[in-house]
Amino acid sequence: MQKNKAQEMISAVRARAAARGVNASFSLHCEKSHLMRIGNNSVSLNTSEHLTRLDIEVINGRRTGSHTQMGDVTSEEYVEKALQIAVAKAEVASEKDYQPISVVVEANVAENAQYDQTLEHLDPAFKADAYQQIIDNVGEEYNFSGSWSSGSMELFLVSTANENTMHHLATDQDFNVVLKHPQKKWELRQWKSGWRLDHFDVEDVINGFRGLLPTYENHAGYKLEPGEYRVALGSAAIAEVVMMACYTGFYGRSYEEKQGWTSKYKKGDKVLGDNINLVDEPADDKTFRFGFDMMGKVRGRFPLVKDGILRNLMYDSMTAAKYGRELTAHTGGSASIVMQPGSADSDLLAAVKGLGRVIYVPALHYLNMPNASQGIFTGSSRFNAVLIENGKVVSPIFSSRITDSFQNVFGNVSLISSEAETVNLSNTYGRRMPEAASMPSYIVSDKVKITDSADSF
Amino acid sequence: MSLSAEIKLQILQNIERVTKNGADYTDARFYTNDDSETLFLYDGNLEANDTNFESGLGVRVLFGGAWGFAATSDAKTIDACFDLALQNARTAAKLVRVPLQMGKKPAHQGHFASPLKQDPFTIPLKQKLDFLNGIDAQLKEDWIAKRYVYAEFQKKNIYFFNSEGTEVERNLANVFAKMMVMALDSDGQMQRRSQELFTTGKGTRGYEMLTSPELFSAHAGRIKEELAQLIKADALEYGRRSVILLPGQGFLQVHETIGHPLELDRILGYELSYAGGSFVDLDSFGKLQYGSEKLSVSAFGGIENSPGSYGYDDEGSPERDYLLIDKGLLVNALSSRAMIDEANQKAGRTVFAESGGAARATAFYRAPIDRMTNVNILPGNDGTLEDIIAGTEDGVVLDNPVSWSIGSNREHFHFGCEIAWEVKNGKKTRILRNPTYQGHTVEFYNSLSAVGDASTWRVWQVDNCGKGEPNQIMQLGHGIPVVRFDNVITGERK
Repeated sequence: MQKNKAQEMISAVRARAAARGVNASFSLHCEKSHLMRIGNNSVSLNTSEHLTRLDIEVINGRRTGSHTQMGDVTSEEYVEKALQIAVAKAEVASEKDYQPISVVVEANVAENAQYDQTLEHLDPAFKADAYQQIIDNVGEEYNFSGSWSSGSMELFLVSTANENTMHHLATDQDFNVVLKHPQKKWELRQWKSGWRLDHFDVEDVINGFRGLLPTYENHAGYKLEPGEYRVALGSAAIAEVVMMACYTGFYGRSYEEKQGWTSKYKKGDKVLGDNINLVDEPADDKTFRFGFDMMGKVRGRFPLVKDGILRNLMYDSMTAAKYGRELTAHTGGSASIVMQPGSADSDLLAAVKGLGRVIYVPALHYLNMPNASQGIFTGSSRFNAVLIENGKVVSPIFSSRITDSFQNVFGNVSLISSEAETVNLSNTYGRRMPEAASMPSYIVSDKVKITDSADSF
Repeated sequence: MSLSAEIKLQILQNIERVTKNGADYTDARFYTNDDSETLFLYDGNLEANDTNFESGLGVRVLFGGAWGFAATSDAKTIDACFDLALQNARTAAKLVRVPLQMGKKPAHQGHFASPLKQDPFTIPLKQKLDFLNGIDAQLKEDWIAKRYVYAEFQKKNIYFFNSEGTEVERNLANVFAKMMVMALDSDGQMQRRSQELFTTGKGTRGYEMLTSPELFSAHAGRIKEELAQLIKADALEYGRRSVILLPGQGFLQVHETIGHPLELDRILGYELSYAGGSFVDLDSFGKLQYGSEKLSVSAFGGIENSPGSYGYDDEGSPERDYLLIDKGLLVNALSSRAMIDEANQKAGRTVFAESGGAARATAFYRAPIDRMTNVNILPGNDGTLEDIIAGTEDGVVLDNPVSWSIGSNREHFHFGCEIAWEVKNGKKTRILRNPTYQGHTVEFYNSLSAVGDASTWRVWQVDNCGKGEPNQIMQLGHGIPVVRFDNVITGERK
C-alpha cells in the first residue's frame, strides 16, 4: 500500500521526535461517511462527512498527555504543532504510580481485506431507490423509517519506538428499516450489515416484512405476566447481552477491580453453560476485522469462554500496566466477538416444535446493568417479538422487560442455532469505527425472567 | 477565535449561489473552534489528560422538501461542501411523501455568550490538576477500593448564517465534573457514591463553577460517609412503596420519561430505527393528563447557568421559555421549525404555534435535530425534603443513577440507584443498598404526590445525552426539586 502525503508528513515528524528522545505515538484516522435517514416514507436526511483526525499521545516517564486535532494534515509543521501540545501536557501531568506502556508497532501491517470501492463510492441515489422499492412493495399505508450508514475508514499508526507502520482500510455498512402501523402502533424491523455492497439485498428485506406482516395484521398483541419463560433470543438480542457480559466480565479492568460479575471467579472456573463458547476472532469475516490494536499489537484468535469455562481476559494498556499483566491487543480498535453456533435447526420454528410456549425476542432495547457485581441486566423487547406455541407463531407480544443475570440466561441454553449472523455494533457518536459480532441466529434459554410488560407495543 | 472576513464572504456567496440553484432554504454553521479538555484521575492516577480541537463547516440545504447535509474539516473545500449538500438534497428529494418546510422567518442578528468569569482554557493545566488532586486526596481512605475525579471543559465558537439573512454568533462554554468513591460490601459487591458538579441556575459557568465548594468539592466528605454506611446496609426488599427522588435521581427520571418522549421528531417517527418513538402522539397535546396537578414542566426555564442555555439554536431560532406540561396536562413539545410545520400539517390544526428553539447539533459535522434544552419540574408547595419525608408513611429516598433502561416508546422504565434511605412513619430509618424501581410513565407521573419548594430545586447538568443518526452527544440541564411518587414497584421480585 502506498503512503499518502499525510502519512509521509507524520512519519517525518515521528522520525525527528524519535531522534529527540520523545516517546510518542501518532495515529491518523480518515473517514468518508454517508448516512441516509428516512422517516414518514421520505428521505429525512442525506448526509456526507469527510473528516480527518490526528491523535498524538506522549509518555514522559510516568506522565502522559494526548491531543487530537481535526483537520487535513497539510504540513509537517501542522503535525509538529500538535505533537508539541501533547508534549507540553505530558510535562505538566501528575505522575502515575505505575509505568505506562509505550506504543510499539510490532510489525508492518497493511490490511484492506474488507474494502469495497463500490461501497465507498456508493451513489446515495442507490439508497433512495432501495427504500422506494421497499415502500412500494410492502405498502405505502405503513409508516417507514430507518437509516443506512456506509463509508470507509482508514487508520495509520506509527510510534517513536521503531519505523514500523500499521495501516487499515475498510468499508462497512449498516442498513435498518422500521415499519410502523400508523394506528395499531406495532413496529417491525429489517436490517442488513456487512463490508461489501452486496451484503445488502432489497428482495430479502421485502420478503422479511412480507413474512412477518400476517402475524401482526391478524393478531392482537399479547401481554405477558411477570414470570419465568422459555425465551428465544435472536442474534441482535444475543449480541446486546454478550457485549454487556464482555464489558463487565471479560475485560481485565472490571475483573481486577472486582466490579464485574466474573470477579469472584478465576481462569478455569465455569462461568456460563457448558454449551457457551465465546472468542475474539479477528479472522471471522462476519465481523469487522482489525488486525492490530492502538498499542501496535497484532491481533489474533483469543478465546474468552470455552465450554462455559473462563479462559482469558482482555486487557487494555492502562489496566495491563497498572496490574502488571501482558497486553492482549485490546486497546482501542474493535473486537470481533463470536459466539460459536450450535447444532439446532437454523429455522427457529422448526427447532422449537414440541417445546410448547416460547417467547421470541429478536432485539433488546436499552440494556443496562442494575447490578454489575451479580451480572444482572435489564432491557425490553423491541421489533418483531412474538409468542410461539408448538412451532407456530401465535401473536405479537407487547413491549416486555427482561431482568435477569448472564449466568442464568446463558446457563440454561437448550438450543443454539447452527447458523451465524453478523450483528453490527457500530455507533456513529464520534469517529467511524466499525464493530460487528458474529452470533447464532437464535438461542433458546429455558428460564428467563420477564419482570414487566406494557399494554402496548 | 473569530471567523475571518474571507470565510464569511465565501459562506454568504455560497448560500446565495445554492439558493439561485433552487434550494428552498440553506444554512451554514462554521465552528472556528470546538475545544474540549478531559482530565480524569483514577485512584490518583491521571488516566486522561486529553485535549481535542475541531474546526469546520456544516451545510444544510432544503430542496424539494428534503434535507441534504455535508460537512468538511478542510477550509479549502467550502465551495465543494455546499455543492455536496445541494446534491444530497436533490437526491433525497427523489423520495419525498411529506415535503418538509421551514416556514418563513424574518432575518435577525444575534449574539450569545455563556456567562463566564474564568475561561477554563486560560487556567494552567497544573492549577487544574492541583485542584483535582486535592479532591482526590479528600476521597482517599484505606477502606475505599476505588475513587475517581473527573472534569471536562468545553468551548465552542459558532457562526451561523442562513438564506433568510440571519446571522448569529455564539460563544458557548461548559464545565462538567464528577467524583466517585467505591467499596466492596459484605457480599463482595461493589457499591458506590458519587457527586456531580451542579448549579443553582444562577451565576456564571466558567472555571469558577468547579472551584465553588458548595457546588462540588464540599460533597467529598458526605459521599464517603454515605458509602461507609452503604457497604454495611441491607438490600432493598421488593414491594410497593413511595419513592422520594432527590434532584440527583429526579433529573434522569425527567430526562428519560418527559424530555425524550416530548421531542417532536421522536413523536413524528423520525427516530424509530435507533432511539425509538414516543407513546405521545399529536392528539395527546391539550388532552393527555401526563401527571398529577402537581406536575408542571418547563423548557429552558430562563435558567442562565446551564449547558441547556445557549441563546439560539442551530437553526438560528432564539431559545424559548415555555411550559411542556401545565398542572399535569401535556401542552407542548421540544421542537424545531421543520418539525412543527410537519406536525401541524399532519394534525390538520395548529398544534404548535412556533419552534421551541430546540434544533441542536453536537458538532459542525452533524445536522441539527430536536433536542432537550433545559427540561425542568417547577418547584412546588410541599416544603423541604424533611417536610416531604415527614408526610411519608412507607417509602424510600433515592439518589443518583446506577442503571437506567427505558421502553422504546418511553412508556415504561426501570432505574437502579446508588443509595436508598428507608422512610417509615415520617422518619428516615436506615440506608439500603441496591435500590431499584420501575413503572409505567403516565401512571407514575399521575402518582406524583409531593413537589418540594424552591429550596430543594437544583440544576443537574447532563454532558452525554445520546440521540440521532449519525449519533449525537448533547449537553443540557434539568432543574429539579425533590419529588415524591406513591405506590411504586421497588426492588426486584425474588
